[in-house]
Amino acid sequence: MMPDFHQEGQAETTQWQPEQKAPVILLENVSKTYGKIHALSGVTLALSGGVTGILGLNGAGKSTLFKILMGKLKPSSGQVRLFGTNPWKNPAPYARVGFVPEGEKMHDWMTAHDFISTFARLNGLTRDEAKTEADRVLDFVGLLDVAHKQIGRFSKGMRQRTKIAHALVSDPELIILDEPLQGCDPLARTTIMNVIRELGRMGRTVIVSSHILTEIERITEQIVILHHGRLLALGNLHAIREKMDNIPHRIDIGCDSPKELAKSVIDIASVHGISFQDPQKLTVQTRNLGDFHSHLPKTIVDGGHKVDSIDNPDDDLASILGYLTGGGGM
Amino acid sequence: MADKTNTIFRALDRKASAITEFTMRQYRTKISTWVVLITGLVIISLLMMFYVDAMQRDFESVDNDGDSFDSDGDSYPDGQERLYGTNPFSELSNPGFFDPPIPPDDPSVWIDEDDFDWNESPTGTRSVSVGYDDDGDCRTEDRTSSQKDTNDNGIDCDIELSLSLTGEFRYDVDNFVDEDPDDEAYAKEALHRASILGIGKLGFVFIISIFIPLFMATGLIRDEMNSGTMHYMLTKPIARTEVFFYRVIGYLGIVWPYLIILTLISAVVTGFAGPGDSLFRFAEFGIWLAILFAAMMATLVYGMLFCFLGVMWRYGIILAIPFAAWELGMALLSMGVPDAPILRFSVIGWALIIVDSASLIVWPDMTLLIYSGLSVEGTDSLGFESEELIGSEPLQYFYANPGLGNISPFLSMIIATVVLLIQAIALLFVGGAIFKGKEIE
Repeated sequence: MMPDFHQEGQAETTQWQPEQKAPVILLENVSKTYGKIHALSGVTLALSGGVTGILGLNGAGKSTLFKILMGKLKPSSGQVRLFGTNPWKNPAPYARVGFVPEGEKMHDWMTAHDFISTFARLNGLTRDEAKTEADRVLDFVGLLDVAHKQIGRFSKGMRQRTKIAHALVSDPELIILDEPLQGCDPLARTTIMNVIRELGRMGRTVIVSSHILTEIERITEQIVILHHGRLLALGNLHAIREKMDNIPHRIDIGCDSPKELAKSVIDIASVHGISFQDPQKLTVQTRNLGDFHSHLPKTIVDGGHKVDSIDNPDDDLASILGYLTGGGGM
Repeated sequence: MADKTNTIFRALDRKASAITEFTMRQYRTKISTWVVLITGLVIISLLMMFYVDAMQRDFESVDNDGDSFDSDGDSYPDGQERLYGTNPFSELSNPGFFDPPIPPDDPSVWIDEDDFDWNESPTGTRSVSVGYDDDGDCRTEDRTSSQKDTNDNGIDCDIELSLSLTGEFRYDVDNFVDEDPDDEAYAKEALHRASILGIGKLGFVFIISIFIPLFMATGLIRDEMNSGTMHYMLTKPIARTEVFFYRVIGYLGIVWPYLIILTLISAVVTGFAGPGDSLFRFAEFGIWLAILFAAMMATLVYGMLFCFLGVMWRYGIILAIPFAAWELGMALLSMGVPDAPILRFSVIGWALIIVDSASLIVWPDMTLLIYSGLSVEGTDSLGFESEELIGSEPLQYFYANPGLGNISPFLSMIIATVVLLIQAIALLFVGGAIFKGKEIE
């Protein structure tokens, strides 16, 4: 074979570029086993852009999937590509990724600002750049006013937001959040959801996991459902939901006068059953959860009812899983 | 190109200083760090108290040659009679019959009356003649030349020091020369040196240098792998070998200053409490410097090793304990058999070479001090039995020749340092490689 003289010396002048068209995340038939336990089996997935929710019960393999993506675990089989490169034993792609690990553990002795600016220096920032960057990301998650307080004194919601701020240093293209809403109070949930939606609007690829459907529903429509380590469904949440409309849902409404409320609620078209199991609770049966939830606030306000809680004991995810796996109950 | 190199070094500096600083601050917030460091301080303080106590003690003056005794009961001590050539065993023969008569000495005059006088050590195969008969009982005119030169080296009333071809020390003394040394002076000098060597070798280079890494370095990476906080560091674009290295540097950032302070305190204590006419003894700063250096090298190698064991296995400390036992055995072996080949398979064996080399440089008269103290033991020509001087045995125990054969002590020190650095670098690469291939839950 003749050498190609035109190519000679080109390697020095052209900079190496990762494959531009490669998806941000690419998994091909990825499995992870621990002895006989299959944490993940045969997951194939490609994601680029937008916000994606990874849904699954505890132990479905969400965290395992993330840790494989972040090069913390080695897949037992299959191919993993993060920005077109294999993340195992290769920290290079992490410059473009922000990761929010699950769990409560943090460096409680540090202040939020300290925590973020110290680790920001690992992104190659100088001390001063890191401080400016810490201010920016803390402002983004709304923690600038408590930036110089110790993480140990933070509420769960503030801790989660600190972790998110940590992941946003250097403005990564991909942000992976493992159960960012777990344990947070409603206000913190809303704040975190807004942050995630904002990231999506900014054109980042965001992957967020949860075991609660309603949470994901408020963030994104694009979902991936994991169940027992398998990829069960992938696509638009509404499309999946529509198929489920004929599945009855139960909603518990805690209020001072269930009978009064029942009279108003019965007028909502999607309600097809009412029962009283508790003197302070009204149980409503519906075949169209979305429709019911869109009418309920108006009904409550118009009737002047005092409502303490709205609960969905048939966990939404459980019923979807039940539907998708073809069984009735889980 | 220059610009690129600059960028790489600046990035390295940012990452290195970030993790090092973080590690040091993290140590400061842990109670266990303070417990370990204070325990080390207490151990060294206790050892120092024993040392100061020994230095404050009065050592009884022993009449090592028995010549303060008045054998014939004529109130003239035997030594005085021997000096004037009268018969110590006959009360009819004593300096009182001289003209003019000489009054009898107080017996205490004949205790510790002939101290060691030497200022040279033999080098190579050259023998040297040292010693002076302070009390004159050898130089007395009544003695014949052969009585004055019992070691047959052609010089009257001296001590011949020599080294055999195998490096064995020989101490060949004429009768009645340096035969009744100052016990207290000897004991203090010998115990002073033995304490510095003992505290330095066993206290600093072994106990402190192995237990501090055992408690502080084993969890350096393992604790964070277990608690899950390692993710905050490892999701950043940084190689794990780098993390391993910078974490160990951060650990050294706490341990080395601590060792420096501890050594400085010890050096000041032995400087003030040590024997000598001056207020402060500067002589041992060199040996303390070597002890500090050996302890720093040992904490580096042990730190790398224990950190690596922690990464390798969740219960890495279980592997570290038998290793510490092995090192203890090697430390004790090195005091008795410093050239045992098995010592080369340890860390402490090399670290102690640094201390032993320094003691050879700082105290060139060490062998002489040990053997002269031991040589007092025995029965002299008149049948008097004496024991070895206090302090000579512990000194002999703690002092060892650097075990690398007959080479310059400076060279031994350099070889030992290079070997310890190679051990540290090898452990860094092994530890880094293990960490790199480790799955983190």
